Amino acid sequence: MSIRALDTADLLSGLTAPEFGAQTARGRFWSKIRRSPSALVGLVILGIYLLLALVGPLAAPFDPGHDILRDQFQSPSTHHFLGTDDLGRDEFLMLLYGARYTLYLGFLAVAIGLGAGLPLGAISGYFGGWVDLLVQRLTDVLLSFPGILLALALVAGLGVGLRNVIISVGISSIPIFIRLTRASALSIRELPYVEAARALGVPNWLILLRHVIPNSLAPVIVQATLQLGAAILVAAGLGFLGLGVQKPTPEWGSMLGEARTYIFTDAKLVTLPGLAIFGAVLAFNLVGDGLRDALDPRLK
Amino acid sequence: MPIRKLAFLLALGMAVAACGTGTSSTTTNATKHGANLNVAIGIDPDTLDPAAQTTTTASQVVDMMVERLYTLDSNGATQPQLASDFPKTSSDGLTYTIPIRTGVKFSDGTAFNAAAAKQGLDRLLNAQTFKTQPGVLSVIDTVTATDDKTLTIKLKSPFAPFVAALTQTNAAILSPASLTVQGNTPAQVKWPVGTGPYVLKERVNGDHITLTANKDYWGSQKPNYDTQNIKIVPDDPSREALIRSGGADVIVAPPLSDLPALAQDSSLKVLRAKSDRTLQIIIDTVDTNQPLLQKVEVRQALNYAVNKDEIVKNVMFGNAVVLDAPMSKTLFGYCPVGSNYNFDPAKAKQMLQAAGASNLTVKLGSPTGRYPQDIKVATAVASYLHDVGVTVQGPQTSDWPTYLGHVNVPPAQAAFDMHFLGWAPAYLDASQQFEQFRPDRIPPKGLETSYYSNTTVTDLVVKAGAEVDQQKRKDEYCQAAKQVWTDAPWIFLYNQSFPIVYSAKVTGVGAFPNEKFDTRFAAPA
Amino acid sequence: MLTYVARRVLISIPTIFGVATVIFLLVRLLPGDPARTIAGVLATPEDVERIRQQFGFDQPLYVQYVTYITHLLTGNLGVSTRTGAPVTEEIFTRLPYTLELAAISTVLSILIGVTLGVIAATRRGTPLDLLISGLAVFGLSMPVYWLGLMLIIVFSIEIHAFPAAGAQDPLGFVLPSVTLAMFSLALVARQSRSAMLEVLGQDFVRTARAKGAPLRTVLVKHALRNALLPVVTVIGLQFGALIGGAVLTETVFSWPGVGRLLVDSIFSRDYPVVQGVVLMLAVAFIFVNLLVDLLYAYVDPRIRYS
Repeated sequence: MSIRALDTADLLSGLTAPEFGAQTARGRFWSKIRRSPSALVGLVILGIYLLLALVGPLAAPFDPGHDILRDQFQSPSTHHFLGTDDLGRDEFLMLLYGARYTLYLGFLAVAIGLGAGLPLGAISGYFGGWVDLLVQRLTDVLLSFPGILLALALVAGLGVGLRNVIISVGISSIPIFIRLTRASALSIRELPYVEAARALGVPNWLILLRHVIPNSLAPVIVQATLQLGAAILVAAGLGFLGLGVQKPTPEWGSMLGEARTYIFTDAKLVTLPGLAIFGAVLAFNLVGDGLRDALDPRLK
Repeated sequence: MPIRKLAFLLALGMAVAACGTGTSSTTTNATKHGANLNVAIGIDPDTLDPAAQTTTTASQVVDMMVERLYTLDSNGATQPQLASDFPKTSSDGLTYTIPIRTGVKFSDGTAFNAAAAKQGLDRLLNAQTFKTQPGVLSVIDTVTATDDKTLTIKLKSPFAPFVAALTQTNAAILSPASLTVQGNTPAQVKWPVGTGPYVLKERVNGDHITLTANKDYWGSQKPNYDTQNIKIVPDDPSREALIRSGGADVIVAPPLSDLPALAQDSSLKVLRAKSDRTLQIIIDTVDTNQPLLQKVEVRQALNYAVNKDEIVKNVMFGNAVVLDAPMSKTLFGYCPVGSNYNFDPAKAKQMLQAAGASNLTVKLGSPTGRYPQDIKVATAVASYLHDVGVTVQGPQTSDWPTYLGHVNVPPAQAAFDMHFLGWAPAYLDASQQFEQFRPDRIPPKGLETSYYSNTTVTDLVVKAGAEVDQQKRKDEYCQAAKQVWTDAPWIFLYNQSFPIVYSAKVTGVGAFPNEKFDTRFAAPA
Repeated sequence: MLTYVARRVLISIPTIFGVATVIFLLVRLLPGDPARTIAGVLATPEDVERIRQQFGFDQPLYVQYVTYITHLLTGNLGVSTRTGAPVTEEIFTRLPYTLELAAISTVLSILIGVTLGVIAATRRGTPLDLLISGLAVFGLSMPVYWLGLMLIIVFSIEIHAFPAAGAQDPLGFVLPSVTLAMFSLALVARQSRSAMLEVLGQDFVRTARAKGAPLRTVLVKHALRNALLPVVTVIGLQFGALIGGAVLTETVFSWPGVGRLLVDSIFSRDYPVVQGVVLMLAVAFIFVNLLVDLLYAYVDPRIRYS
């Protein structure tokens, strides 16, 4: 926790220090990204996923009422690009629809985490005192349920289904954003120009909005990208256990969990959703790493 | 007296059956003896206390160690076990006089007698016993051990299937001396001691239960393995992986889709045992959200719309039999209804139109993972209904307790217009199946979630419940069943089988029609 | 130093209390009647009611809460509604299995992860570095259960090397431990690599090398020691992911650990066990974090005053 405070302070000083080459922070950022092949690969994969998720299902509307039981477990063919599943539905189509729900789930969950975590952390770090104490205890309670455990406990309380999975995964993402933003806020609070602004009588909420939050964004963005991957893994884990998104809503984790029983009959029903999850998380991790490398001057 | 005649016929039949299957004393080859048999089951038994049994998976483990007065044979007929013969019944049907088998000992050496039997039943009926589930046996008023060899039971009211009800595992008899040792208390038994062919040796929660052979077992068939090791493997493909890799010799319920391939494997044998479980789509017959479902013609049309043969073949992979009555063939009181709801989408559409239900919309619910392929079957049903113009929302699913909470409610709170559910009577009597067709069992008084009510049916069922004449009972149930079939409160689907896969190196693996396997007298091949 | 420890321990108490309350409320939000779930479908309404009374579900919520808290203060976690055994017994009979997996996978991930990370750092920019870094990212992105399933197919079915399920077989721990280790291993490798790089870039290392010290000595005597601290932090923080991974791994391999107990209890509405397991894991997590922070505070004086 305290370690992160040091990291962030260095990060920020790195951003404002002059360097050879590009003159603006943003320019330097993009040139670094461009030079990182892994981040580029990640972006490309992500782009493909997004494209497929958005466009694919439009091309072939999902109709849960049309299982053709006679066409079960077919191998890939010209008619069915990746074959069919246990109820005769086109597996590629199922994966495409799964992409939609899985990505939607991930983004929304992280949005919840950010939406609650960012302001809470900023306020907590900037004001200190009893506000800080309160938020810290809340964070402690949430952090005491590690990752999937919190999601499990929440799903245990709220019940299963897409909406509750999003809420659970979202809530489990909040503590880490609180911690990150708080660490940044702690150091920004001490910066001379912020002190000056306070002395000048600039209202606190304006300082928060104009200075604290924008300058905390760097590590938060990195974490958000990585958290997207983590959210998808947690949701898929829940789905695998049967506690996640329920049929007929397709989601890769539950598809994988349901296909477990067919592992000997038709292994592709297990391999393909697994690969899909893997690819998405990998892409997010690559992009996140690239972002972190671009924003952190020490490593290059 | 009819009971006597029936008893004689049953005893005769039993003798014939015994000759037919070949007990160890009459086989030409000596039964081989083995060191250990590995059996993999899918649920960790919550408790091994007979009185608290609620699942067949746990019960069948208990059955290997603890026995009852009467038991079911592999055809589902009631047979004496710790009783020496069928009981004498009083003409008013209230008093049962049961002869007790002599010369039997519990595995801890205590003698078995009528007093022990009385203690077992008293314990079941005692409200202090932890999680006790007397169920229908609460019809018992008093239990008296008139002497060492005779047990007299008085009922509060006549209950025709009483002897069958005594075959349930909850009526099993523990050694009285064992109730205060090894962590047991009379209220809660963790280490059961009975008269059965196997004795509990070790238990690791969630992993395995090890039993050793009872060398002094009283029966004519003897245990043939020194130990039976029951492994808890909740994942069905994992069980299959175990038997394919040699980690288990007998498994229950592998993934249904693999049964054809497993049957081809010459090192394995597949037993698709008969089961009493019917699976169906239960329709809310008093639905106020969708009043069209209150019409018989609409419900019959839905029955014509679903291709049950295809579901059995492609979703259950042949592991079921399409229903031809509102109950499974294994029940006492079953008769084939005579007419079938054959797959006829054209007729279904026509009937729907005639009833003004061409644009029917229904909400379908289903559990996930409760029954084999449950959600898949419900999805398939939804697609068939879709094909005849019915709009189906769902199948909406959730985990079992939540689902149960949605369907086990009074009519005003019903969450679905139709829902998928299974029903498996514990002691193979039609009376238990008819719990699903009588309005005095509407939740919270029971589990009749179709809210179906037909006075003809109810009258017949109530009468049959106290009927002393067995043939009359059968006729009454048959009549009632035909009426239920016509009224179609369900989309009648299928009666699933209970698949057991075992190594070709093992023989003597059997099953009971209430979804219990029987490895008590298995032996190396 | 002691005040720091005392302060941290004191702060943990309201946190644990908060966790206990949250989990108590959460499981009671769960839809479904626990008494009916326990009694089963064929039970008569009288049987269901009797169970409801035996377990105290008929009491008002605040009564149940007060009973829960007072029992908690005496270390009584209640009784499992599924088996009737004390919750502490349920947990402690299964805890060794989870600890076994956790310990083995942590050892594996430290040994292999640190080695790989150090190699990658010293060979920075080479194809080897790229390979190791690539593998690390892969390991972080792979769903744990998927890996487990793949391992079962290859090592249990195709080659009868390891058992597919259960803990009875002496080799039963191999596949689950490897599966569980994957994520930690990747994370440790990455953390070691970046920590190592940072240290290697520091002046004192350059000085040592300029003085002619061989790379190996420099590595072990100076770099490793300094690099290990962030690694230790990560391992401590990894405890959370380990638990999550254990839940999934134990399900795939039918391993009788605490993770599977938790999932099964959620499905069977065994409130006391769910409460007990979650509480225990949360307490363990707080404890591990405290240890890690203490370790850090001990080593790095700057931290103590934050």
